[in-house]
Amino acid sequence: MLELILQALFSGVLQGGSYALIALGLALVFGTMKVINLAHGELVLLAAYIAYTVESSLGVNPVFAIPLALLIVCAAAVLVYFLVDLIRQDRELNSLLLTYGIAIILTNAIQLIWSADIRSTGSAWFQEPVVIGPLYSMRSELVFFVVSLALMTGLWWWLSRSWYGRAVRAVSSQRDAAKLMGVNPRKTELVSFIVASILASFAGVALFSYGVIQPSYGHVLTVKAFIITVLAGMGSIPGVLVGALLLGVTEALTVTLASSALQELAGMCLFLLVLFVMPNGLFGAAGRRG
Amino acid sequence: MLEVDNIRAGYGAINVLWDVSLSAAAGQMTTIIGPNGAGKTTLLRSIMGLLPLTQGDIRLHGRSIRGTAPWDMSGLGVAMIPEGRMIFKDMTIEENLLMGAFPKQHRAAARQKCEQAYAMFPCLQERWNLLAGMLSGGESQMLAMARGLMSDPELLIIDEPSLGLAPVVVNELFGVLGRLKAEGRTIILVEQNTQKAVGVADQVHLMQSGKIALSQPAAEVSLEHLHDLYFAH
Ligand SMILES: Nc1ncnc2c1ncn2[C@@H]1O[C@H](COP(=O)(O)OP(=O)(O)O)[C@@H](O)[C@H]1O
Ligand SMILES: [Mg+2]
Repeated sequence: MLELILQALFSGVLQGGSYALIALGLALVFGTMKVINLAHGELVLLAAYIAYTVESSLGVNPVFAIPLALLIVCAAAVLVYFLVDLIRQDRELNSLLLTYGIAIILTNAIQLIWSADIRSTGSAWFQEPVVIGPLYSMRSELVFFVVSLALMTGLWWWLSRSWYGRAVRAVSSQRDAAKLMGVNPRKTELVSFIVASILASFAGVALFSYGVIQPSYGHVLTVKAFIITVLAGMGSIPGVLVGALLLGVTEALTVTLASSALQELAGMCLFLLVLFVMPNGLFGAAGRRG
Repeated sequence: MLEVDNIRAGYGAINVLWDVSLSAAAGQMTTIIGPNGAGKTTLLRSIMGLLPLTQGDIRLHGRSIRGTAPWDMSGLGVAMIPEGRMIFKDMTIEENLLMGAFPKQHRAAARQKCEQAYAMFPCLQERWNLLAGMLSGGESQMLAMARGLMSDPELLIIDEPSLGLAPVVVNELFGVLGRLKAEGRTIILVEQNTQKAVGVADQVHLMQSGKIALSQPAAEVSLEHLHDLYFAH
């Protein structure tokens, strides 16, 4: 029993890496643009299906799909950005309708192109088991967990050390003041959309490499990313990582101890529980939200 | 240096500024005083391009800057120091300063400018890595000032720097304003502390209900007359 629980914790943590990448993208765009991109999960899923196509048609490891996924997902994200940018009134609210509509269109486009069948990787190299003491994982899980950590480190570096990354944070923090500092917020909004889709591309290829995908999964991913972002209190990268690991572990424990049918429900319960106990999220300082 | 010519501006359907004109001469401190809600901040925001004009023109060195985006103003040598609440609270003090040097032409000198800022405001130096949200009101204001000076502006526009500060800090702040003026910078200062503001000013404008009610050289201003006007409404 203990071994089962340990194994669930381990798998949950590994899963949390990709969740964190998805949630960071959502949080980044929300920070600069105050827009919750409800099509974010679909962009991740698009990358996953591109990985499937590259693997099945070329017979190569899905990681080779990353450049193509980056290209297509970034292009799609830029399109979403320009559509959102067309909204003239009540952007925060109307963008919910718009991005929800885009999400539905994307889901159906994915279903049209790739059919509703469940897909998973056939890469033997990726499915190879890796055993660390009593713990088991697939090679793909470990590889992409390390990749996620590397990307998060890169993101942290960019946000705190580069001129443009700091500008993104400045716009999130005080939009008018950032304008006075010489920052054109529309540029930083576009940049945040692009960075979010870079993270989404890696996450999508990761999800395909160790899990199963189907057209309706995009919506599920958006909800997960939203839960994590709110759990973290719209804050820092470490906060989002902890929130993502917490969700990953909760889901894995639920699957191990109860049933995989309850996985999404468990995430929602975690969400409600944390907000009930800590209304500002795990790391949100009191009164610093909104 | 800067001429505001008969402008109207406001927030959507609500007009706030009614035919406002004033000018700021190079090397001088032009002070705008007036009660809360008179439209002083609105005037500064209009100059910086944060609000669109619905009438009139604004000229810098004789050239119209109407419609210039706020992010292009620092390239023209104009910087606004908004009230201290508008620092980047989620960023460190040093990151706040670096944002002040964001335009490409200022980035190379940013490190050196940070050192100058620390020399001018020693309270910031010890805590360079602290989140700006942790600062007191006075320190936030100092940070806003230091950040605004990072681009070495020719024209400095400052909005109510003494708002809500303790008297000691206010004195310190006016000391800094005096030094900036002595450096030969052109300054437009909005203040509610009438006595101190008139003390450092070259030219004084009184603003009421979105209009300029009085414009006088500081030397000719009688504080009593000013107070009478101030409370006339
Ligand atoms: N964002 C805003 N939206 C609508 N009205 C505003 C806004 N900001 C200020 N006002 C109104 O404009 C008028 C002038 O405000 P402001 O320029 O801030 O005055 P001051 O800086 O002189 O105290 C006030 O009546 C205020 O209510
Ligand atoms: Mg004001």
